[in-house]
Amino acid sequence: MTERVEYWVKIPFGPIHPGLEEPEKFILTLDGEKIIDVDVKLGYNLRGIQWIALRRNYIQIMYLAERMCGICSFSHNHTYTRAVEEAGGIEVPERAEYIRVIIGELERIHSHLLNLGVLAHDIGYDTLLHLTWLAREKVMDTLEAVSGNRVNYSMVTIGGVRRDIDEKKRRIILDMIKYYREVFPQIEEAFLHDPTIEARFRDTAVISKRVALEQGAVGPTGRGSGIRDDARWSERLGVYPDLGIKPVMPQDVTGERPRGDVFDRMAVRIGELYQSLELIEHALDGMPDGKIKAFPKDNVLYAKLRLMVDGEGIGRYEAPRGELVHYVRGKKGSDKPLRWKPREPTFPNLFSVAKGVIGDQVADFVVAVASIDPCLSCTDRVAVIEDGKRKVLTEKDLLKESIRKTREINPEIKGDPTPVGASCSR
Amino acid sequence: MNDNPVNETNEVKEPTKIEKVAETIAERFPEAQVEVKTNRWKRQRVWVRIPREKYRELMDFIKKLDGEAHYSIGIEQDWGDELGFLSHLVVHYKAAPAVSLIVDVHAPKDDPVIPDISDIFPIALQFEREGMEMVGIDFENAPDKRRLFLPDDFPEGIYPLRLDDKGVPDEMVKNAGHPYYLKGGARK
Repeated sequence: MTERVEYWVKIPFGPIHPGLEEPEKFILTLDGEKIIDVDVKLGYNLRGIQWIALRRNYIQIMYLAERMCGICSFSHNHTYTRAVEEAGGIEVPERAEYIRVIIGELERIHSHLLNLGVLAHDIGYDTLLHLTWLAREKVMDTLEAVSGNRVNYSMVTIGGVRRDIDEKKRRIILDMIKYYREVFPQIEEAFLHDPTIEARFRDTAVISKRVALEQGAVGPTGRGSGIRDDARWSERLGVYPDLGIKPVMPQDVTGERPRGDVFDRMAVRIGELYQSLELIEHALDGMPDGKIKAFPKDNVLYAKLRLMVDGEGIGRYEAPRGELVHYVRGKKGSDKPLRWKPREPTFPNLFSVAKGVIGDQVADFVVAVASIDPCLSCTDRVAVIEDGKRKVLTEKDLLKESIRKTREINPEIKGDPTPVGASCSR
Repeated sequence: MNDNPVNETNEVKEPTKIEKVAETIAERFPEAQVEVKTNRWKRQRVWVRIPREKYRELMDFIKKLDGEAHYSIGIEQDWGDELGFLSHLVVHYKAAPAVSLIVDVHAPKDDPVIPDISDIFPIALQFEREGMEMVGIDFENAPDKRRLFLPDDFPEGIYPLRLDDKGVPDEMVKNAGHPYYLKGGARK
C-alpha cells in the first residue's frame, strides 16, 4: 500500500548565494526537485542613483550613469548622452559616432566573453571558464590602451567623445582583431560542439516566444526566443545602418530554428562576437576625419545645456544584455534634469527567466539565471537612503560579531578565535 | 548616384510608417494629443498624451495594432501638481526603423489613480510596482501591489522620488546628495 504524498516547499534562493554573482532573491516553490513557481525580490543592491541624480547637473550625471555598472558602463553613459542630445537638439560629429561604435563593440566583446565563462563555470566546466577569461584579457588591455581604463571608460560626452582614436590606438585594435580571428573559432568549437555543454544547455530554462513577448525580453534573451529585434538596428542608431548591422538570430549560428533555451541564448552571444569584430573593422575603415565633439570644453557644454535642453528625450541603445532605455526631462534655465530614469535590460529579462524556469529542475536554476547575463547592480539603481543611523561594519567588527555569535551558540567553546598576526589593514 | 534623388522624393510624398501610426491613433482617439517629433539624427518618435479615462483603451488599441508590441519602459514622475506615468513602446519592429511610441498619462496628486494595464502588457506590472513605491501612484486593480525595490521596513507614506513634502525628509539622509555638502544633508 503506497500512497504518494505531495507537498510543496518554499525555499529562498539568495540574496547571497554561491551560484549568484550579485545579490538578488528568488523564492522558489518546489515540488521535490521541480520548480513550481518563482517570486523575484529586488533591491539588495539599491544605491539610490535616481535620487542622487535629482541633485546633480547634466555633466555630473554622465559619470554617475557610468558607475551604475562596471561591465556595461559605456552603454549607460552612451544612452544617457543620447537622451540628453535628443532633448537638447545637439548634433554629434560623424567621427565621434564611429568612435562610439568602436568602444561599444569592444565592450560587447568583453561582456559576452565574460558571460560565456560564467555559464561554463556554473555547470562546473572550469576549463572553459579559464579559456574564455584568458581570451577576454586581450580586449580589456585594448580598452585600457584606447580609453585609459579597464572599466568606466569615460569616452562619451554630450555632443561627441572625449578622446580620439589615433594611428597607434588603431594598430592596437587591429592587432586585437587579428588575435580574436584565431581565438573565436576555438571558443565557438568548445561551446557549440561539446556534448557536456549540449546536455546541460539544450532545453533548459526554455523561454517560449509568447512568454518572451509578454515579459518584454530583450537582447540575446529575446533573440534566443525568436524575437527579431536589435535596438541598434530598429532604432537606426548613429552610423550603425551604414556599417551593416542586423540582428543575430540563433538560426544564423546553430542552423536550427530558435527554441529559446540556454543554448540559443549562448549561440546568439557567440554570433555577436563575430559581428562585433566586423563592425569594428568597418568602423575603423570608414572613419572620417574631423572634430570629435560639438563643444570644445566642459564649461561651454555646461552653459549650452542650460539653454538648449528644454523638453523630453529618449535614448535607446543595444547594450550587451539587450535594449537599454534612458529618459531625460529638462527645463530651460536649469542645469539639472527634472527626471532621469534608466531601464536596464536585466529588468524584463529577469522576469522572463523566472517564468521560463517553471517546470525545470532546481539544479538548472543557477545556469538559467546566468544565461540572461544578469546585472543586478544595473537593475537595483533606484532610490535611496540609510534609515536612521548609518553603521559601517569593518572586517574587525564582523569578526567580533561572529566570535560573539559562536560563543552564544556554544558557551563552552575552547580555543582562542582571535587571528594571529596582522589582519588586513582595512 | 541616381538613386538618392528618387529615394528623397519618395520619402517626401509617402508618409513613413511612424506617421501612419500617429495618424491612426489621432483618428481613433480625438481627445489625445499626438505629435511626431524628429530629432537631430532624423529619428522620428510619436509622443501621445492621453487622458487617463482613455488610457486602457489606447493600450488595448496598440496591442491590437501590433500583437508583438514591445513594452520597454514605464517612467513614474512628479510634475509638480500632477503625477505622470510615461510608457515607451516599440511597435512594428519587423523592419527597421521600428516605431518608437511614447504614451503619457497624468493624474492629479489628490487623486493619483491610473488604470492598470498589466493584463495587456504583463511586464508593465513591474514598472507599476515601482511607480507605486517611488512616487505613490495608485494603479487601480493591479494584481500585485507589493514593494519591488524598497525594503519592507521602509516607512509608509514616504515616496523617495516625490519632489514635495512626501519625499525623503532631510533627517533620513546621511551623507547623501552633493559630495561637498557632507554636513547637514542634501539641501543645505
